[in-house]
Amino acid sequence: MYTNAQYYNTLTASPAGIRCDINGATSFVPIDPANTDYANIMALVAAGELTIAPAEGS
Amino acid sequence: MAVTINGTTGITTPANTVTGNESVGGNLTVSGTGSVNVTGTVVMGSSFKRNRIINGNMVIDQRNAGASVTPTSSPTYTVDRWEYTFSQASKISVQQNAGSVTPPAGFSKYVGLTSLSAYSLSSTDYFRLDQPIEGYNLADLNWGTASAATVTLSFWVRSSLTGLFGLQFNNAAGTRNYPGSYTINAANTWEYKTVTIPGDTTGTWETGNLTSVRVGFTLGYGSSLTGTGGAWNAGSPSAVTGGTSLVGTSGATFYITSVQLEVGSSATPYEMQIYSDQLAQCQRYYSKSYDTGTVPGTASTTVGSLANISTSGGFSITAAQIKTTLRATPTVTLYNPVTGATGTWYDGGALSPTATVFLYGVNNIAVYTVSGSASSSVYGHYVANSEL
Repeated sequence: MYTNAQYYNTLTASPAGIRCDINGATSFVPIDPANTDYANIMALVAAGELTIAPAEGS
Repeated sequence: MAVTINGTTGITTPANTVTGNESVGGNLTVSGTGSVNVTGTVVMGSSFKRNRIINGNMVIDQRNAGASVTPTSSPTYTVDRWEYTFSQASKISVQQNAGSVTPPAGFSKYVGLTSLSAYSLSSTDYFRLDQPIEGYNLADLNWGTASAATVTLSFWVRSSLTGLFGLQFNNAAGTRNYPGSYTINAANTWEYKTVTIPGDTTGTWETGNLTSVRVGFTLGYGSSLTGTGGAWNAGSPSAVTGGTSLVGTSGATFYITSVQLEVGSSATPYEMQIYSDQLAQCQRYYSKSYDTGTVPGTASTTVGSLANISTSGGFSITAAQIKTTLRATPTVTLYNPVTGATGTWYDGGALSPTATVFLYGVNNIAVYTVSGSASSSVYGHYVANSEL
């Protein structure tokens, strides 16, 4: 279950990935379609079931 | 006695020499105590490393280290590479060696699923244990073409229930599906099963680093998802009609081990792996900094964690080399080795600075911490998840 999804930036990448809670555990998901969590998150976003907040400072 | 197979003289034994080529239509058994010597190359329809299932003997359990879990989010990975997929949470507990029964001869581990209630299936319910197989490991099957290879699944299974049980083979999109079945004849008894299925000559089957085939053991499927099995379909039905529902009986058990999927129409003995090889195979999909037998999130695990030094401003960057090249860029979860909480690490000033993944890769990751103690030791753990 994905909750509290938010893009985040680092000095070298904007965004660097998505910070979100996966089953309650704070996790970092890369922007990579081959990553299962990223694919799942994008599917939820497309279905209107999840929103990814913009990165802080964006 | 020695048997010599030579491309020029054929098969030679001390008692008999066959010149020219020789073809054996049935099985060839060498019962002597000598060796089989081959001058040329042995060409096999299958090969060593023939089992396309990883952790088929359920030995590796990096996530739970043998502890019981009751999944609430689907899918949930249990022992390595095996996921429990379901429509209703908390109906089944999963544990390596649940019930502590004696495994089949030659095996030490199995995965056990136990029904926690007597649940009546709705028409759309589904419960299964499955393993998604990466395309690289099945590309030679040529599924989706006219030359699709036949495969055979074999396994030892034991249940408190008897009767028809379902199997499932499908592609990643769920647009190709083969509902299969087998029968458990005696309750609470290990039984060896083999099921052969024809390769699918149509459909799209991944040959890269994504899911190609998902092999599943069904444990309860609703009526709208079931139908006639024994043939490939376009995604429906998902499971055979009449398959036993494990979740329908409180306390019912389903134990399984030695799962092997191989090319060909007959099963061969389970292909044992050296433990370190099998662990590395699993680590392509799930890798952790914790000791093998430590569950991620366990508190007081500073010993064995990653360690570094923070700057005078309380900032640190730590790089970690992943043990085995991952399937894809991983999802990373960072753990505080003292508290076990996620999202922070721990430092020598007894602070828990926020930890963030700085760089992702299939071989390395880098983590930075902020707002920690100045010029202090920094400790942390990670899990890199690249499951299918």
